Amino acid sequence: MTPFRRRGDRLEAGFVAAESAVLTVLVDQLEQVLAGDDAAGDPVVDRLFPAGHAADPDLARDYRDLTESALREGKADDLALVRATVPVEGGTVRLDDDQARSWLRTTNDLRLALGTRLGITAEGAPEDTDEAQLSVYHWLTAVQGSLVDALVAGGGRRR
Amino acid sequence: MAPERTAPERVTGTSTDAEHELDRPWVTVVWDDPVNLMTYVTFVLQELFGYDEQKATTLMLQVHQEGKAIVSSGPRERMEHDTSRLHAYGLWASYQRDS
Repeated sequence: MTPFRRRGDRLEAGFVAAESAVLTVLVDQLEQVLAGDDAAGDPVVDRLFPAGHAADPDLARDYRDLTESALREGKADDLALVRATVPVEGGTVRLDDDQARSWLRTTNDLRLALGTRLGITAEGAPEDTDEAQLSVYHWLTAVQGSLVDALVAGGGRRR
Repeated sequence: MAPERTAPERVTGTSTDAEHELDRPWVTVVWDDPVNLMTYVTFVLQELFGYDEQKATTLMLQVHQEGKAIVSSGPRERMEHDTSRLHAYGLWASYQRDS
C-alpha cells in the first residue's frame, strides 16, 4: 500500500490487487455480520452497537430502538461506498472528503471487528494470535492511520 | 464548544431532591478502547463537536490515560444523539446523568 496523501481536493492511496482482494473479503464479512438476524451475543456486534446507557437497561433499550436501524443503514452505506471505490485490479484509491469519511468509519469498524475476534487489548494481541490475521489488522491500521493524517493535514474538517 | 445546559423551569422557589435531580444535566462519555487510534479519536471529536485541535487532543488524552472523558453535556435527547453519532464512528460512548 502506498499510504493516503492529499492531492488537490482528493485523497489518494495505492493498493496492489491482493490488498484490494483482502479488503473486499473483509467488507463482505462485515456486511454478513451486520445483516445477521441472529447476532445476539456476538461480541463484534456488541462492540459495533454498544449500549447507549451503561447502567439502565430500560434506557439502553430505548436507545437501541431509537438508533440501531439508522446506525446499521449508515454502516451499510459506508460499506457499499468502500466496495465501489476499491480498485479491484489494484491501482489508485481516489476519494473526496465525504468518501474519505466513509472509508474512515469502515476501516475503523473492520479493525474493531478483527480486534474483537483476535482479543486485542491495551497490551496488544495475545501471544498465540494468528500471524496472517494480525498482519491484516496492522495493514488496516496503516490504511486508516494514513487516511486520518491526510485528512487532518489538508484541513479536511467539516465546517 | 461551550457546554450548553438546559435547566427545567422551576414553578416555585423551593428546591427539592426531585428538582435537583431534574437540574442535573446529562453527559456523553467516551470510554477507552484498545483498538481506536488516538489520531482518529481526536479527529472524530473535532468533526462531531467542532472542538479545536487542542481541546480534542486534551479530551482524547483524558480518555486514554483516565479511561473515560465527558465530551458533551446537555439535555438527555441531545446526549442520545451525540452518543449515536459517536457510535456511527465506532467510538465507545454512552450517556448518563452528570454525577
